Amino acid sequence: MSSIKEATNKKNTKASLYQTVWRWHFYAGIIFAPFLIILAITGSIYLFKSQIENVIYQDYYEVNPQGDRITATEQIEEAKRLYPDSVVTKYRPGENDERSSEVSIMTSDNESLTVFIDPYTGKSLGELNNADRIMDRIEEFHGELMAGTLGDRIVELAACWAIVLIVTGLFLWFPRKKKDLSGVLIPRFNKGKKIFRRDLHAVPAFWITAGMLFLIMTGLPWSGFWGNQFQALVTNTGFGYPPSVWIGDAPSSIVQTKDIADVPWAAETLEVPKSEVQGLIPISIDEVVEIANSEGMHPSYTVIFPNDKEGVFTLSAFPPKAQDEATIHIDQYTGAVLADYRYDNYGLIGKIVAWGITLHKGTQFGLINQLISLLICLGIILVAVSGFYLWWKRKPKKDLGAPKAISIKKMKFFLLLMIGLGIVFPLVGLSLIVVLAIDWLIIKRIPRLRKFLNA
Amino acid sequence: MKKNIFIIFILIISAVLSGCSLKPNVEKLYKEETPLEAEIIIPNNFSDNEKETIQVNLTQEGEKVKDADFVHFEIWKQDGTVKYYMEEANNLGNGTYSISKDFDSEGLYFVKVHAGNKGSIIMPRKQFVVGELSESDLDFLRKGAQSEIEVHEHHH
Repeated sequence: MSSIKEATNKKNTKASLYQTVWRWHFYAGIIFAPFLIILAITGSIYLFKSQIENVIYQDYYEVNPQGDRITATEQIEEAKRLYPDSVVTKYRPGENDERSSEVSIMTSDNESLTVFIDPYTGKSLGELNNADRIMDRIEEFHGELMAGTLGDRIVELAACWAIVLIVTGLFLWFPRKKKDLSGVLIPRFNKGKKIFRRDLHAVPAFWITAGMLFLIMTGLPWSGFWGNQFQALVTNTGFGYPPSVWIGDAPSSIVQTKDIADVPWAAETLEVPKSEVQGLIPISIDEVVEIANSEGMHPSYTVIFPNDKEGVFTLSAFPPKAQDEATIHIDQYTGAVLADYRYDNYGLIGKIVAWGITLHKGTQFGLINQLISLLICLGIILVAVSGFYLWWKRKPKKDLGAPKAISIKKMKFFLLLMIGLGIVFPLVGLSLIVVLAIDWLIIKRIPRLRKFLNA
Repeated sequence: MKKNIFIIFILIISAVLSGCSLKPNVEKLYKEETPLEAEIIIPNNFSDNEKETIQVNLTQEGEKVKDADFVHFEIWKQDGTVKYYMEEANNLGNGTYSISKDFDSEGLYFVKVHAGNKGSIIMPRKQFVVGELSESDLDFLRKGAQSEIEVHEHHH
């Protein structure tokens, strides 16, 4: 008698655990599926950034090698001649003989432009307003839904909740009857529409789980909130990126302000105080290029100009392969190399994150990398859409059709799991607190709402 | 019991949300460079018909560099009328290196030190004034005010 009771109890707990997990999966899915679809679509396009930009910006990128290259100074002079009141912020010499140079400038009305210069003729090939660059906009959509910090946090939240979706989804998918792999690894086509719809969601979802988790985990380190916290934490332990590669300030030029030559801005008269004129002056961009060459910088590097008197010239290269990355800071007055960080100088976690990023962007292994990532993105879209469809077909007219709520207090393990996830991903934790608050303050007090949500 | 868990949970989350930043001197945990530092000393007064001495004090990792791999001086005048090509410096000991030259013509000058030691190479450049500035010097300085890019290389 008692054993039967125990068995039913056990069966009930099992069933109610299933219900609880399903309920969380259901709500998380309904709320975050649209964002995951956006991320997958924008990501699919952004994967092919280099191919797309090579086609649409061909006229800006390609040059005919002929004779000697003119100096970097002369190239920048040309950009300054075209935009007299602008400030030069970056210079990119071009990674090979057929590639134009780029001079990035900030115009007087605060627009960022890139002027493309033919390094053989010294003529401008045209300029692009950075605000008009379509791939940059897609990246912005992918990273922050074009909504700044708020968008960044939403994307991060969606990514974190996608992990919750994966964990709960795997639980729901996990085969309860042994031996039969149909409906687990292959969809059942001949068991009726309902079953087919379920398999159309669950089976592909299982297949892309690893890839999806990989994209989430490699994307998170460059999210604005979790990513920055994570980067600071690992950089502080000595196992991450060296400071300034991802977060942290570049070193300063070693100089005392009194030693710097003052430029007599308003020198209308001949009476210029000698002491103001006398002093150190910055090294030229040509010398910076020479230093880059002698230090063996990856040819795809960009020079970032110092933005104040203590600033440094920064050479930065993030080429397709993680192991080619390099960041060098140069004293703007002496040309001394103040810091030289290559991939080999990254800590272990820094190296892993760097690989994660190039794999996520699809650049590490070129086309095959892009195609695999594209397949995962398409899989995410299929799974999100089929999940939605699954619900839509099953949804009763009058309410959401959510699985019945069971007090979470009875689900010790599940509760601990959610708290754990909430701590590792504080945004998830924060959103859980908000959900609990809404549940307690609003939903529990309005019967109609309660019924609609099946709470 | 459940309340306690909830409170601890909120505490941990707020601790994490309040965030962490980089420790000072975190760069010491990673590869470090040993940049040379230079202090270029220009004489206060220049007199006609006498050689004047320009000095440079070199330090590296807080120590005086007594025997640098190389120290060269290069001096030229803004208007191109004076040009002292790259020349090895005299080692005065104690981390000080010097060069002595005539500065008989007034105007805007540049001195560039090329120095290297233990893998660090520097090329600091200082501008200085002998006597009074000419109209051409002032034009040059005003032009420099508009464009940060140095064009002195043309004078070589």
